[in-house]
Amino acid sequence: MLPIAVQTQGLSRRFDLHFALRDLSLTLPTASALLVVGPNGAGKTTLLRLLATSLRPSAGRATVFGHDLVRGADAVRQITAYVGTAHGMYEGLTAKENLAFAATMGGRPDQADAVLKRVGLFQVAHKSVRTFSHGMKRRLALARAWMLAPRLLLLDDPFSGLDAEGTLLVDTLVAEVKSAGGCAVLATHEWERGLHLADTIIGLARGRQVEAAPAAEVSGPRLRALAGGRV
Amino acid sequence: MSAWRRTVALARKDLLLEWRGRETITAMAVLALLVVLLLGFVLGAEPPRAPAILWVALALAAMLGVARPTQAEVEQQALETLLLYPGSREHLYWGKWAALTVLLTVLLALLLVTLGVLFNVDLWAKLPALFGVGVLGIAGLSAVGTLFAALVIHVRGRELLMPLLLLPVALPVVLGGVRLTEAVLTDAPGGGLWFGMLAVFDILFLLVAPILYEVVMEEA
Repeated sequence: MLPIAVQTQGLSRRFDLHFALRDLSLTLPTASALLVVGPNGAGKTTLLRLLATSLRPSAGRATVFGHDLVRGADAVRQITAYVGTAHGMYEGLTAKENLAFAATMGGRPDQADAVLKRVGLFQVAHKSVRTFSHGMKRRLALARAWMLAPRLLLLDDPFSGLDAEGTLLVDTLVAEVKSAGGCAVLATHEWERGLHLADTIIGLARGRQVEAAPAAEVSGPRLRALAGGRV
Repeated sequence: MSAWRRTVALARKDLLLEWRGRETITAMAVLALLVVLLLGFVLGAEPPRAPAILWVALALAAMLGVARPTQAEVEQQALETLLLYPGSREHLYWGKWAALTVLLTVLLALLLVTLGVLFNVDLWAKLPALFGVGVLGIAGLSAVGTLFAALVIHVRGRELLMPLLLLPVALPVVLGGVRLTEAVLTDAPGGGLWFGMLAVFDILFLLVAPILYEVVMEEA
């Protein structure tokens, strides 16, 4: 049995009286990828933000590579990269300056040139991010995640705004994290584009877990139903 | 060492963005100059008025600009990414504080030159002492302003709330700054008391604010 990368027990998050995520228990081994499927408002982003330590759980607990999400939040941040729906880049800085800043803040060596080459943005490394298209900003956010060399990679709606080549970058990034013994969690309703990456699938609806199975055992119609919230 | 590097990187990033946009410094400088001109006309451009006008202009301009370095993170949707970098969030406080202190110091230099010219104050002989007094006050204003900017970051109508929060707390800085500047300009005794007050204010807030900042930013 592979060592555990992520483990949650009764993980819940409430905003006022509304539970965005309720009583989620899951175990993810190392060198694996999880696909989280569900309609809007299902709790996908809340789960990722909890694992990224951006939110604190209202109840339950979770560990990431043995570090508690609350008590060991800083240790979790050192091994985690979160690419959210907002690209998180400074539009007044160039692509290279953004990555250099991320490297310093993340305590990593500055490999901006190398990762910009990988995501196809090396030619525009010295251009302001303000001039970038949505897809280019998404690529830059992927480049930042690449440079941070995370053990836990969290991707929220990773295929949004990306062309076919950009989608391949997501595939490569997830594959590299897995092959290095890490773990990737992808939340999307475009399940068709992430299915081949996943080892495990969970379905969420109204904050509750409604499906948890190895990817090979979840049928297409079932995934469509999960993504559409018809469960 | 890495905390220091992060602090410097954050301050450098904020100042680089400000240098390229020049939004905050322009707005603060215009407001400060308008206040100087207005009060100069109303009260008379006489040298004894200069210290009070300097500090009122500086404080009002600071009200306008203190929240910008923090608020810009929200507007660029970069706050969450910033908070998810490892390390204590104290270094975020120090980075924001440093950037704001540099911005206000540039404004101070501009104001000193303006007052020297318009109010016929012989600043040049006492420029190092005046600059020192200004920086002492600015350090305190930035310390409080950086904390309050984080406090109101997600509050609706924060532009209205910020002066209401900041002005009462910053009053000792303005008062101490005026009296100490007067003492420097006139070589009057009693400056030590006001210097002490400014120094205590700075030390107090620079010790407490970073700790409170961590709590405030825990789940921003």
